[in-house]
Amino acid sequence: MKVPVAWLRDYVDLPANADEIVARLAALGFPVDEVETRPQLTNVVVGRIAKLERHPNADRLQLCTIDIGRDETLLIATAATNVAQGQTVPVALIGAELAGGLKIAPRKMRGIDSQGMLISAEEIGLPGEWFEDGIMQLEATMPLGTDVVAHFGLTDPVLDVDVTPNRPDALSIVGLARELAASFGVALRVPDSEVEYEGDSDDARVTIETVDCKRFVYQRVEGIDVRPAQAGMRIRLALAGQRPINNVVDISNFVMLEAGQPLHFFDWDRVGGKHLIVRDAHDRERFTTLDGQERTLDVCAIVIADEEGPTSLAGIMGGQRSEVEPSTTQLLVEAASWTGPRIRRVSGALKLRTEASTRFEKSLSPALADVGAARAAYLLAREGGRVRRPRAAGQPVPDPAPIGLLAGEVQRLLGFELTTEEIERALAALGFVTQREPDRLIVRAPYWRGDIAIAADLIEEVARMVGYDHVRAEVPGTASQDIDSAEFDRETELATTLAGLGYTEVVSLSLQPGNVAERWRANGIAIDEPVEITNPLSDDQRWMRFSIAPALLEFAARDRAVRPYRVFELGHVFAQGEPPQETVQLTALHAGGPSAFGRLKSDVLALLRRATGVEARVERGVFPSLHPGKTAALRIGDRVVGYAGVLDPRLAHAYDVADTTALATILVEALPPYVTPRYVAPSKFPPVERDLAVVVPLDVLAGDLSDAVREEPLVRSATVFDEYRGPQVGDGKKSLAVRIILQSAQATLTDQEADAALARIVAALRKRFGAEPRA
Amino acid sequence: MSGMDSLESTLAALAARFDDALAGAANAHALDEVRVAFLGRSGEVTAVRRGIGTLPPAERPTAGKVINAAVEAMEAKLAAARTRLESAALERSLEDSIDVSFPGPAANIGAIHPVRRTAIDVARYFTRHGFAVVLGPEIETDANNFDALNIPPDHPAREGLDSFYLRPDLVLRTHTSPMQVRSMRKHGPPIAIIVPGKAYRRDAIDARHLYMFHQVEGLMVGRGIHFGHLKGMLLGLFRELFGPWADVRFRPSFFPFTEPSAEFDVKCPACDGQGGTCRTCGGSGWIELGGSGMVHPNVLRAVGYDPDEVTGWAFGCGLERIAMKRHDMNDIRAFVENAPGFAAGLA
Repeated sequence: MKVPVAWLRDYVDLPANADEIVARLAALGFPVDEVETRPQLTNVVVGRIAKLERHPNADRLQLCTIDIGRDETLLIATAATNVAQGQTVPVALIGAELAGGLKIAPRKMRGIDSQGMLISAEEIGLPGEWFEDGIMQLEATMPLGTDVVAHFGLTDPVLDVDVTPNRPDALSIVGLARELAASFGVALRVPDSEVEYEGDSDDARVTIETVDCKRFVYQRVEGIDVRPAQAGMRIRLALAGQRPINNVVDISNFVMLEAGQPLHFFDWDRVGGKHLIVRDAHDRERFTTLDGQERTLDVCAIVIADEEGPTSLAGIMGGQRSEVEPSTTQLLVEAASWTGPRIRRVSGALKLRTEASTRFEKSLSPALADVGAARAAYLLAREGGRVRRPRAAGQPVPDPAPIGLLAGEVQRLLGFELTTEEIERALAALGFVTQREPDRLIVRAPYWRGDIAIAADLIEEVARMVGYDHVRAEVPGTASQDIDSAEFDRETELATTLAGLGYTEVVSLSLQPGNVAERWRANGIAIDEPVEITNPLSDDQRWMRFSIAPALLEFAARDRAVRPYRVFELGHVFAQGEPPQETVQLTALHAGGPSAFGRLKSDVLALLRRATGVEARVERGVFPSLHPGKTAALRIGDRVVGYAGVLDPRLAHAYDVADTTALATILVEALPPYVTPRYVAPSKFPPVERDLAVVVPLDVLAGDLSDAVREEPLVRSATVFDEYRGPQVGDGKKSLAVRIILQSAQATLTDQEADAALARIVAALRKRFGAEPRA
Repeated sequence: MSGMDSLESTLAALAARFDDALAGAANAHALDEVRVAFLGRSGEVTAVRRGIGTLPPAERPTAGKVINAAVEAMEAKLAAARTRLESAALERSLEDSIDVSFPGPAANIGAIHPVRRTAIDVARYFTRHGFAVVLGPEIETDANNFDALNIPPDHPAREGLDSFYLRPDLVLRTHTSPMQVRSMRKHGPPIAIIVPGKAYRRDAIDARHLYMFHQVEGLMVGRGIHFGHLKGMLLGLFRELFGPWADVRFRPSFFPFTEPSAEFDVKCPACDGQGGTCRTCGGSGWIELGGSGMVHPNVLRAVGYDPDEVTGWAFGCGLERIAMKRHDMNDIRAFVENAPGFAAGLA
């Protein structure tokens, strides 16, 4: 909310330095997002055009004799066309500084010395297009010679104050002034609203047919003369970002910004049947709001209708048909209160957010309607209107509910002690009424604080008043609890281990455009329909990722200059289901370098060993994104915990990366808990190394062969280190060479014992795989 | 001349030649050749020893002793020569030098992502204080994401948490706070947890916003837990993350699931809280980091805790935001661009 500091000063005495005000607002819970500084302005005073004559040497200039309340008048030339004798205008004296860095020096205009300048709104830093063309007009009641800059506070900054949604009362100048007054310990000057009523508003009839109109205050005003509002009001509105229109519309906006109560003024002469009906809109009811838009409503909306149909969209915007116009002479002032969520729904559905709806949707206090109506009446009377006594329809203003605040409760929550007097003083400053009972205070919130419901709310108020800086930092003792950190610890271990193995972690966005899945499908990769976001910001973010691989492939293609390229991501992937399924996966990619697949597989096996304490078995497997003939399933116990393989060549082609690129995915939730490995004492006796080459059918896996070799008790390790295919072994066969380390824990192996073990191994391999030792 | 005399003169001559040969041996190999030539299986001393058989039996023991003494003397000289040569070689090797700046082969080292780095550092601090670290699903029921956190459907606070929906009742969690609800329903009180993880909000991407980002949530509920404990834990956290100068302040704010509520700021590291024209903090001297407060009684009730018995605090803040301040970054998009060297440079 835009808050001119000058406007705040109308109601509360504040420090001259705006920084102090900004700091205090922040400490009260109203952070200032931006401080808009005003131009440097000096030496502008109120003057009256005492005499006006033609410039003898220039058709387009006029010479004004200006009375600024001093003995001598000033002679000022002006090119403005809206000047007339008797006008009260702002006068920039010689030496004045104006907006845009303009400085007024004595100068000759067509041979005549001009002793200053008559100025427009723009020259005092206001939006020129919002004010009259030419010289700004002031009220004749302003004393001549008054310092215009100081009087209107034109150099005070404008604050953009962030008001949390629980505080609609503070979406107003008076609301914020009240907070500052309480905090600085000074009095609030409540705006005048006393007015002599002339008659009653009983010529208007109001019928309420919806429970969501909590209160409807209405008031008849006659004798309206629509003209520009007073300068002070126009300047306040303009500083707050509200364009001045005319005195009637401006009063409505002024009261909304000042008091926080949106109003609506009906042109009484155009209220059909002099009867307003507050009711739910009919389905598909059409209605033109005062911005000229025809809108189609549904039953969610609330309209204020007269006997000819809807004439205002409740809580949001008035209707064109009863809008105030220059010819308007009589008004019906409406100050209502609505159920906030209802207004929010309608405003959301119509995509129509207004200053009124942003306040009403936060549920304004019903009592504020009476306050707003009274203030509008006062201001309209000041403009010459004859105000009738207001009437109210709907529910009476409820009394504030008492809230008990137990002794000790403040300390229990805040951790520091306050005396009952301190608590009472803090609450009283904010308008709360307190009453002592033996073990507690009974507290009633002021009418404008609809957000206060429980003791904790009161404690926050007390804390705000004494200052959150009073909270003392203290480290709590922790009791033991039965929650563990297993998932986080595992993810940390996986990520840090893989980083140590040379892989860089990436984070990619989990929402994707639809063409990711289409691209995979178009390349023959079978994947399920991904999970869809029903309200994406754009089609680029419509689908939840079904795999981490697409992002890694895109990075690999983008960073093609970096090889070898090793990256991984650990995160959630999503699949359709009832409800949609979410699994934790780690996907790693290795591109470039010799034997990317072999390196990646070794790294992933090392990772699994580290994370689970056991060696994973390598089997043939199938996994989308991986080459169907070059994929290893990694098994621990009865569970496949991941896959490693060479990238599917169709994807390699589609993403334009090398077809040797390797990918591995670990299904993190499938990993068994870490098993602490048993200690095996190293043998004191020397190992014997033997190489064995066997000829086996092509489909025998090296991993299965070495597993079989390890079944011989004397084998300490067995590693396949070579494969040969060719004429020496024949079609359909290959030769695998295994390096076998034999070792006994009991004795040094003799050659005969080693030979016997090897013979047992050969026999076993022959039986299992049809293997023949290679000569 | 007796046999013995002849033997002794032979040995003396041998010793003299041995000394000459030894003096001429410049390295370990030459030394070994000398050893073989004199003491080896077919060496000269061995040949002399074989000659013992030709001596009268009475002289043989003496002859043996004489030969052994000669052998011992030679071996001692050999050992001394070997030691001398080795020391000389070591002395020489000390004079070698290499260009130590010549690049070696590239290290095969990766890096974890800076957001994870920050999450781990936050977790280490809290686990040291007895907190557990829990994770949770990114797809949440709107009941857990909103209702149980005291944000009914029409609550104004849903406005700022514009969410992605999968179904009318399922959202991508807009904060890690629903894990408060899930954890409290399963455990405690007392309970002390933090929750690092992803959250989603329907924001357009710019230098300060990603629609997907990481948060860390903290929750502590038990008897006698108060606002000061929250401040104490946060102060300790940011001193650990930013340095011992770090200071934390609270400002009143509004969150439906806490009362009283506070935003917390950390004193700006760039200007030490002086503000002025500081760009890091925009002149305020403080950097907004997150939201916090005392858990609202309605939230405690919703999970079956008794707000008359226990109190608690919670906080949440963006991990990217912390990481950006730690690494002096000004564009949040770098976290998902993953430019080559990004993570490694911040590890």
